[in-house]
Amino acid sequence: MAVFSEQSSVLNTSPALRYIYYAVIALVLCIIHRMFLDLISVAGVTPDLLLLLTVWIALKEGQSVGQFAGFGAGLLFDIISVDVLGTNALAKSIAGFIAGYFYSEDEREDKTGSYKFLLIVFLCALIHNLIYFFFYIRLTEMGFLEFFLKYGVASTLYTTVAAVFPMLIASRKKRYDDRDF
Amino acid sequence: MRRFIEFVVRFKDYITLSALMVICFAMMTFGNVAQLGGFRTIVVGGIGWMQNVFSWIPNPVALKSENRALRELNLQLSTETAKMRQAMLENEKLRKMLAFKEPSSAPIVPAEVIGKTTVQLRNFITINRGAKDKIKPGMVAKTDAGVVGTVVSASDNFALIQLIIDRDARIAARIERTGIDGIVAWEGEQNLIIKNIPKSYDVQAGDLLVTSNYSNKYPAGIPVGRVTEVRDEANSLFRKILITPAVKFSSLDQLYVVLYVPNPERAQMEQEIEKRVEQSIQARTSKRVR
Repeated sequence: MAVFSEQSSVLNTSPALRYIYYAVIALVLCIIHRMFLDLISVAGVTPDLLLLLTVWIALKEGQSVGQFAGFGAGLLFDIISVDVLGTNALAKSIAGFIAGYFYSEDEREDKTGSYKFLLIVFLCALIHNLIYFFFYIRLTEMGFLEFFLKYGVASTLYTTVAAVFPMLIASRKKRYDDRDF
Repeated sequence: MRRFIEFVVRFKDYITLSALMVICFAMMTFGNVAQLGGFRTIVVGGIGWMQNVFSWIPNPVALKSENRALRELNLQLSTETAKMRQAMLENEKLRKMLAFKEPSSAPIVPAEVIGKTTVQLRNFITINRGAKDKIKPGMVAKTDAGVVGTVVSASDNFALIQLIIDRDARIAARIERTGIDGIVAWEGEQNLIIKNIPKSYDVQAGDLLVTSNYSNKYPAGIPVGRVTEVRDEANSLFRKILITPAVKFSSLDQLYVVLYVPNPERAQMEQEIEKRVEQSIQARTSKRVR
């Protein structure tokens, strides 16, 4: 426990370490996304874990870092999945930018550990999917609105549901921290 | 200069976003993943290896639907086997009479599905065979039920297959009963579709679709699916035909890769034509937007 708190204090003070930590998490989430998410897919719809990470980082670190995190996570996912390079990067950069609007230095824990986090994730996921599906189905004969309503909205809701878990973890951590003080 | 720096500092987030968007658009225009070549092979190999390690994790939903599909297939096959035996004998006799040449059958490699990617409408599977088994991009994967998709990338021991239920998949197919040709595309979920079939053409629910001779990508005669619904579009001369794929993708765990690479000269020529058509459509669309 002492080691954990020592580690977390290092992460709290050193931005470079924190960014490396985020990069490692992004890589792990990318692999999980590619390998295991099929097990929990509902009619081909899965939660977007990398979007959750992007929103989380934007709320913790601010708009600039959020945008870069979205760009990096999206690019990583574009490379790992076989898709047009840049589509996920674009959608997630914008999602990070929007999530960054809700960043406030005093309320970092409050935002990630409360229902506000779910609302922010919902908004960012909706915009993310709108952009992503717009580029995804360009040059095809599929109807954008039909596909967005079918998959975009479903994916947004699933991602919001998945956001409950990090929210609960953050809320619990906040309670621990408050108790320590 | 000072004003410029102040401007940059003040609007740094917007400038960053604009720069990132420009990079993304540039990548979308010029940087296809397919051009990453060697790097992509490493990614496919690495992910394939990991999927192989974790392939023991069962998917209960897939197992259930696999059982149901196998039972249905068993029933169907038992009735068809008797018919087939008779038809084969008759076919052999007729072929001899007409002095027909046997259709060339390319060798096949059996493979196991070790990973599925159905994330955000990307429908790919990873199999446990690769370049060492002579598998190359462009080859077709099928099961006893029908066509599965095409190999898009192969490392030494693994290969990535793009399923026919994917946004980029297009299959030249023929309705077996009437010989009507059309292009099959994905309609979402597990459905396929053929558009622009004139209303005067004879298409009925239950008709079987097979890959056509016009396709360079797929060998002819592989079942694609069955017509489930024929919709007459309002104010149009054409019909929309909905098809259920012959293969049940949710329970797919074994398949065969046909060691047949399409004629590169024909493929290149067709790609060039497709590119030209695409460019002219884009030019027309941008004119209309203006």
